[in-house]
Amino acid sequence: MAANERLVVNDHKAPENRQDLEMIQNAVRASLPKARAATVCIEIKGGSGSGVIVSPDGLVLTAAHVATGVKQKVTVVLEDGTRLKAETLGLVADRDAAMVRITEKGTYPFVEMDRDASTQLGDWVFALGHSGGFDHERGSVVRLGRLVRIADSTFQSDCMVIGGDSGGPLFDLAGNLIAIHSRVGAQMQVNMHVPTAVFIDHWDKMLAAEFIGEGPYAEKPVKGNGFLGLATDARPKGGLSVTKVGHGSPAEAAGIRERDVLLKLNHVSLETREQMQDLLKEMAAGDEVILEMERGGKPKTFTFNLGER
Amino acid sequence: MIVFAGLLGTVKGQQSLESSYRTTGSAVVAAFEAQRQVLQQSSAVILDGRKETGYGVVISADGYILTKASELPKSGGLAVTVNQTNYHEVKVLAEDLVWDVALLKIESHDLIPVDYAPTSDVLQGTWVVANGATSRTTRRLLAGIVSAKTREIPASGGAALGVILKVKSKVPQVEAVQQKSGAEEAGLQKDDVILSINGKKIEKVTELNDALKDGKAGNLVHLLLRRKGEEVSVDVRLAARAELFTDQMDRNDQMSGDFSPRRSGFPRALQHDILGSRAVQGGPLLDLDGRCIGMNIARANRSESFAIPVEELKGLAERLMKQAKP
Repeated sequence: MAANERLVVNDHKAPENRQDLEMIQNAVRASLPKARAATVCIEIKGGSGSGVIVSPDGLVLTAAHVATGVKQKVTVVLEDGTRLKAETLGLVADRDAAMVRITEKGTYPFVEMDRDASTQLGDWVFALGHSGGFDHERGSVVRLGRLVRIADSTFQSDCMVIGGDSGGPLFDLAGNLIAIHSRVGAQMQVNMHVPTAVFIDHWDKMLAAEFIGEGPYAEKPVKGNGFLGLATDARPKGGLSVTKVGHGSPAEAAGIRERDVLLKLNHVSLETREQMQDLLKEMAAGDEVILEMERGGKPKTFTFNLGER
Repeated sequence: MIVFAGLLGTVKGQQSLESSYRTTGSAVVAAFEAQRQVLQQSSAVILDGRKETGYGVVISADGYILTKASELPKSGGLAVTVNQTNYHEVKVLAEDLVWDVALLKIESHDLIPVDYAPTSDVLQGTWVVANGATSRTTRRLLAGIVSAKTREIPASGGAALGVILKVKSKVPQVEAVQQKSGAEEAGLQKDDVILSINGKKIEKVTELNDALKDGKAGNLVHLLLRRKGEEVSVDVRLAARAELFTDQMDRNDQMSGDFSPRRSGFPRALQHDILGSRAVQGGPLLDLDGRCIGMNIARANRSESFAIPVEELKGLAERLMKQAKP
């Protein structure tokens, strides 16, 4: 089936006969293998959502509330269980749209996006996602439904999605990506999705890892609220000597100890306490720090994320 | 003009599909009239007095019906409707607690049993049809698709007896017995000490956990207990731990409406996306040819429903019939 061919059953108010039902069934069956191969689980900070690969080099679309922020380290899990390193790119915080890039080189299964908003109210659609989290024996779960409401920047379908499906794909019968799962209500009819148009409208900024818009689906990082948890003293011969490691701090969790010598923070040579504080003031909770240091005369590098002050 | 513009704006900004054209709506469901007629003839309505508690699969002309065991009415008001006939004499002949299936018998000679499909191994995306809420005379249906791999659904949280053990005791000693558990049915009491399981000696709590690790929900285990200085032996039905201790509903459960309390611990299940509830389980799952490819056994949550595949269903029917006629 050509990707842009609109099935006649979509123009029937309801399926009229067995032939119509079989048209829907055959289209879903035919579209599923490719759609499923591109549907992924996204693991981040102990939570789990879904996403879908839209380019052979591993660009993934998901929901902003799954990504939670920009430039975050995440793990992308393919249907066969392959785990891949990835990082979040940009997001649209008020539309629940986000982008993730698989950072491991490879050629990945992907789906085509509906680029001209061709979907109409009542169209038959199917949802995929890792409902309740990744389950290798089960695989991602497919659900059939119709587009029951179209509003500005939101689709509603009667495909039943649940926690873990967030960020997963909604497809038309030809297997084109039309939206990303966003949120559900307690009522079974309330399954909300972000149309691909929202992604297309913000594409370049998202690729550039920009945080777009204000809440409610992701909180903007606040500069200076990052927390490291170290007290230091400048050394005459350069670098900073660690005098205290805060109990329960990100620095402690990363394995930094008293008397370690910090040489560089994110590749900037450290000279004074004030200078390091200024560097940290420009960063936010969740940002990555790379600390190059010396312990007992041997070089060591620690990479971890700032906590929240 | 302003009103007109406002109307246009509303239509343009937001469109909504009438409920009858939604997937569960009357206009869509009407396309499945042929399958509905099969449900009309070959599914049974299970009643507690006048209240519907589930459905059943008619498997013989002479009145044998399979249903979901854990949803059978406990009150003694068990009745069955097939097509438009009500049956108040209903015998529960046999049960398989692993599959949560009961065999019922009503007095009839001209029922139309389901036609079994040759296999449940169909592609995902295949239409399936199941009982929806019924009226007194007319069966209604819900439709959906096969939605995930057919597989075992392990007991959620592992298999458990349904006891809370004393924290400070080195030997496994009962502090409390959970309601509606196998332990309660078997009469376990506070302070009972578990000495062995299926003949295997238990001296530590960890050994008890090991012994239960591979247990299946619905299976019986033989326990030797010490109670007030005397040894007592009982058989205890295992159940899924998460289904015994249900005080913590997670967010997904809260979003899932009226799901089946017994929803895990099935040796093999076909998954579909029909929007049912606990009250519409036990009936046949039909394909577009109206053939029975399974029996609905659980509404697990908002997104997932399970059916016993036809291969296992046929085996269960034979086994339970044999058990019923010694």
